[in-house]
Amino acid sequence: MAQRLKPVDVVTIGVGLTGSLAALELAKAGLKVVGLERGAPRYTVPDFQSPAIHDELRFSIRKAMMQDNTKVAVTFRNSSDETALPIRRWGSFLPGQGLGGSFVHWNGQSYRAQVVDFIYQTHILQRYGKKFLEACGPELTIQDWGVTYEELEPYFDRFEYLLGVSGKAGNIKGQIQRGGNPFEAPRSREYPNPPMKEPYFAALFRKSAERLGYHPFPQPSSNLSRPYKNPEGLDLQACVYCGFCERYACEHFAKASPQTVILPALLNRPNYELRTNCEVQRINLDSTRKKATGVTYVDAAGTEYEQPAELVLITAFALSNVRTLLLSGIGEPYDPWTGKGVVGRNYSYQTTGGPTVFMDESININPFMASGATGTVIDDFGGDNFDHSNLGFIGGQYIAGTMTGGRPIEFHPTPPGTPEWGLEWKRAVAQHYNHTITIVQHGTSTASRLNYLDLDPTYKDAWGQPLLRMTFDFPENDIRMSQYIADKVVEIGRAMGGKVVVRGGAKRPYTTTVYQATHNTGGAVMGDDPKTSVVNRYQQCWDVSNVFSIGGSSFPQNITYNYTMTIGALTYWTLDAIKDKYLKSPGPLVQT
Amino acid sequence: MICRHLLVALVTCTVAAGLGSVSAALAQTPSGAHVPDPARGAVIAAQGTRAGAPGCAQCHAFNGASDGSGAFPRIAGQSAYYLEKQLHDFSSNARVNAIMSPIAKALTPDDIADLAAYYAALDPPFLPLPDPTPALIKSGEPLAKVGNAAKGIQACDNCHGPGGTGEPPAIPYLAGQYASYTALELQMWQRGFRKSSPHQMDDVAKLLNEQEIAAVAAYYQQVRGSAGAAASR
Repeated sequence: MAQRLKPVDVVTIGVGLTGSLAALELAKAGLKVVGLERGAPRYTVPDFQSPAIHDELRFSIRKAMMQDNTKVAVTFRNSSDETALPIRRWGSFLPGQGLGGSFVHWNGQSYRAQVVDFIYQTHILQRYGKKFLEACGPELTIQDWGVTYEELEPYFDRFEYLLGVSGKAGNIKGQIQRGGNPFEAPRSREYPNPPMKEPYFAALFRKSAERLGYHPFPQPSSNLSRPYKNPEGLDLQACVYCGFCERYACEHFAKASPQTVILPALLNRPNYELRTNCEVQRINLDSTRKKATGVTYVDAAGTEYEQPAELVLITAFALSNVRTLLLSGIGEPYDPWTGKGVVGRNYSYQTTGGPTVFMDESININPFMASGATGTVIDDFGGDNFDHSNLGFIGGQYIAGTMTGGRPIEFHPTPPGTPEWGLEWKRAVAQHYNHTITIVQHGTSTASRLNYLDLDPTYKDAWGQPLLRMTFDFPENDIRMSQYIADKVVEIGRAMGGKVVVRGGAKRPYTTTVYQATHNTGGAVMGDDPKTSVVNRYQQCWDVSNVFSIGGSSFPQNITYNYTMTIGALTYWTLDAIKDKYLKSPGPLVQT
Repeated sequence: MICRHLLVALVTCTVAAGLGSVSAALAQTPSGAHVPDPARGAVIAAQGTRAGAPGCAQCHAFNGASDGSGAFPRIAGQSAYYLEKQLHDFSSNARVNAIMSPIAKALTPDDIADLAAYYAALDPPFLPLPDPTPALIKSGEPLAKVGNAAKGIQACDNCHGPGGTGEPPAIPYLAGQYASYTALELQMWQRGFRKSSPHQMDDVAKLLNEQEIAAVAAYYQQVRGSAGAAASR
């Protein structure tokens, strides 16, 4: 029998980016907030300090910062006619665990979404027509978000200044800026900090991209180019380009994370309480099933608690948000056979995979001199930045000369024809390590009725609850998109002087064993219509108005870019709606 | 005179013993066409140059361990890249020091490269020093190894290597460095006088108070890393 605790105003399920940001905003508004985090507490000092933090075996290979999948895994299959199996070793995506969540081990790549991303269906139909979209794939289920870029711009801005993003604006209030991304959505002002230094591989990429007529710009980065005090009064330091960002925490206070930009301003508030090692089992509903009464969780000692709360915020990783809704019976689960139901619908991912460029041995790349977000990018093939009329697909990718570090266990490029092991392999690694550039293709994932999330009928977690089941393969549309762009990138690689350029591009079937991106989206998408969305434009559950599901799970389909900034902007947007509207008059913020 | 003869005799054996590490250090020097010559560097270290630079050995000792006064840093086994950069910075007044700036100005780029190659290859013993203060050392250790959460200071070892043995070529060792030198340099960064290095150091120094500076400097003085091994990496 669960032990019943004293009621609080707000509980957040998960204390990562969205959980800590939401808690800070609501604690400032005077509410009593409890944050429940399934992982351990951890701080820059002492937990992220060297030499332990640069342990590549522990963090990159054994993935010490990721969700403990001996306790809670995700099951996977490519299509509905297969039997899903649990992912026992994280590969394609890496959900974080522990205080700060995935926002601790991210690379810091900090893009805004574009104007048309938020009105994707409307825009595609307007520009190309219904027939064109159907020809791209009748299974595609793209839709609008219910919120526009113009509405979110102030929140993008606020979030960038919270993080101290280092970059160069490409479009300030409609004025194209030299050196920035001319395709970016208009922003109200320049980034808070100048771009990071450009590594050699990125300079080579920039020069050849320019020669080919493209528009290179420095990748916006949340690894800082200079010391910075954020609006919460917290100090960040300048990055030292050690090349240990993704899969690692930053020991230098130089990467924006909850530990550096949010938590110190939150944890000392008397009306905030952090509880770590607490696994939430479900959100409890009252007899009408239209109101949540709180959550039930189990602590590290195995004791079950019921935490009553007026407001429940689901602020976990995208996949966990969806699972929490399914386990709690909030919203109708999606049925792929009838197309009815919404929870689990429009799960999408990220279409990635670029070429490897083997350079002459006189060109020293020094790939280890990098950060997770240094480098140079072109957006000429991003989203709908180019005319798709004769291409037979929608969507696009940015192309990036952005290597995130030459860590020795993970980075050993060898050209085709090299044996996979043994002396010849070792020789080839030594020969090519410092003369090889990988180029990134990173882009849209189009929602499809064939891809979805639901509860696994067989496999359960350590507490006896069903695991989340993922059914996913790349839609043919996205393969065509990625392969079209792959040709363009090979041209860039050759222009860089590549002796051998190994073509990239995504292929079916999707596999979970090779890292691609930790940008899982959808499953609890936002929108204007309860028939095709789980949450309204404020990320408030249509069915239970005192539950908000915040994060990547709200994306109706995935955008070209890494999604952290868009999640941050959506979080601030939702928090303003809660503070300015919901708290004054609790109930649905959008009438159906 | 006797002293000088002795020194010249020493040159040959020290350089021979250090050859393995010298070649590694050479690969890192940025001086272009000139191939650094540690033997010539040794002669300059001992005798100075005709252009008016006094021998380095007068203050830094011929083996680079300097004297125990702490007025002069230990330079033996510091990476050649780092030593060269400091001398060029002294010469250009990017780093200002009343003693070192005129000396560096009297050295040619080739002199500097040769000297750096010479001192980078050495690994002399550490001098016995008076009165270690256990409490001070103890209070400096966490800062060096773990940092300070309340002040937002990362561990020195993050950049200066485990045990403060340096991350050559760019980042110098701290292990075994004289405490008064380390403390003085931190104060120079703190007060904006030392500008020749990345701004990481003035940011960190500004977060430290006098006691923390003394503590962390005292801690590193008694750490015995293998500086020679670090420089040859």
